Amino acid sequence: MTDPTPAAPPPVEPERPFVVEARAVVKRFGSLEVLKGIDLSVQRGQTMVIVGPSGSGKSTFLRCINRLETLNGGYISVEGEIMGYRRQGDRLYELTDAELARQRTRTGMVFQQFNLFGHLTALQNITEAPVRVLGLDREEARARARALLATVGLEHKADSYPAQLSGGQQQRVAIARALAMQPSVMLFDEPTSALDPELVGEVLGAMRSLAQSGMTMIVVTHEMSFARDVGNTLVVMDDGRIIEQGTPAEVLDHPTTERAREFFSRVH
Amino acid sequence: MVVVPVRHYGRAVAGAAVLLVLLGLVLSVARNENLDFAVVAENMFEPVVLGGVGLTLLLTFISMAVGILIGVIAAIARLSPNPVLRSVSAGYVWFFRGTPVLVQLIFWFNIGIIFPRLGIGIPFTDVTFWSVPINDVITPLNAAILGLGLNSGAYIAEIIRAGILSVSKGQVDAAYALGMSRRLTMRRIVLPQSVPIVIPPLSNEFIGMLKYSALASVIAVQELLGSVENIYSRNLRVLELLIVASIWYLIITTFFTFAQRLLERRFSRGRAMVGAAGGVRA
Repeated sequence: MTDPTPAAPPPVEPERPFVVEARAVVKRFGSLEVLKGIDLSVQRGQTMVIVGPSGSGKSTFLRCINRLETLNGGYISVEGEIMGYRRQGDRLYELTDAELARQRTRTGMVFQQFNLFGHLTALQNITEAPVRVLGLDREEARARARALLATVGLEHKADSYPAQLSGGQQQRVAIARALAMQPSVMLFDEPTSALDPELVGEVLGAMRSLAQSGMTMIVVTHEMSFARDVGNTLVVMDDGRIIEQGTPAEVLDHPTTERAREFFSRVH
Repeated sequence: MVVVPVRHYGRAVAGAAVLLVLLGLVLSVARNENLDFAVVAENMFEPVVLGGVGLTLLLTFISMAVGILIGVIAAIARLSPNPVLRSVSAGYVWFFRGTPVLVQLIFWFNIGIIFPRLGIGIPFTDVTFWSVPINDVITPLNAAILGLGLNSGAYIAEIIRAGILSVSKGQVDAAYALGMSRRLTMRRIVLPQSVPIVIPPLSNEFIGMLKYSALASVIAVQELLGSVENIYSRNLRVLELLIVASIWYLIITTFFTFAQRLLERRFSRGRAMVGAAGGVRA
């Protein structure tokens, strides 16, 4: 059913400036075309913020990057490797489940609904994948998890279960969980949309310091001030297409399309 | 000011009437000259009866283990992307839930009629490396385990499937996003969280199995019912011995009902117990 037609797979080069590259990405759910040809590149160490009206395909695009959704056309590469495929000569072989899982360790994802594992403590949520997937020593994984919890200000919640944490705390644990895999890029799917207004700040704060530490990030959000202050690039999507792309100041202050102007006037 | 509560005369009358009927019933049994409670007492700890209790427990535990094993496999197959596995699993549940367990027991007991020998060979040829008479393998007890296990597996498959589906899709996405494979996600994230969901219905199934195991008496298994039948066929004290069996069934089911409560408490870790002081074990 998936019929990716990679236009021109990127040449292998040692110092790749782009961590994520998407070319002509098309995604359909049944007869509904959700992504109608997305092209974009994310530079190492930069934060790209994607905004747009709901239903414009932002979240779907993010889920295509780590292949939680398969593509119907085009390709996405992370660190030069096409997601979901292995290149051999001029052929692409679809990855097995285990190979795909391995490939996904390069991308960390933070979800709108946090999606912490309910039966595990905050610390266990963070150590589970490093121990089981990367084969990290348990003690080392714990030490790393405690350090990560400290960076998001939750070292005292290590032994709490998700149900005992507020939404903002759960989301910060989720960020630490994704970081524990030491991904090349972090994907944020509306990370503050499910939070009470007074808890949004703590999560945005954690994301801001993460961006400042040099992590490559793609953030789908409705927080325009975050886009302006933290984003290096702002992308506006509408109806499955990118309609604006540039520095946040440029795009926010001088949008070139009527649709973008209209969208900004509604969210400001 | 004196407050006079509403008087519930109707309740008092209904309660008294019910108590009267119950008293009448108890007396008519207790003072019945055709029932000899000395026989009940004598037979409670008869070695044959105790052996029956043991065999009932054994039969129940093994059949339940077989049922859970088959049920987990069938549930995972039912949710797999492979259409063949999905259909076979659905067909299994359809067949074994759709025919009476008594029929299945008698069927396995008589399997030797259509397959006299059980062996290993090359399918679709006459080449056989090794074989034994099937009646050496399918003893009455094994026939009962097969019948009860396969039958309960069909019900347990549905219980496990519901448990698996109760774990949010979001957690599965999160596990995949972290680089966990399907298998690892099922084993480490989904199944552990379905355990507390499936314990109440599985306990129900277990207690049902304790009693369904009595059906094995029709295929010559000397479990609890079979053992008392054995005694009353000689002394003809049918009702006294059925009372003996019933008392034992009640003792066993009461015990396991308490065990279920302990299990539920043990497995409620991390689940919706935030408010309760000290509710969650770390």
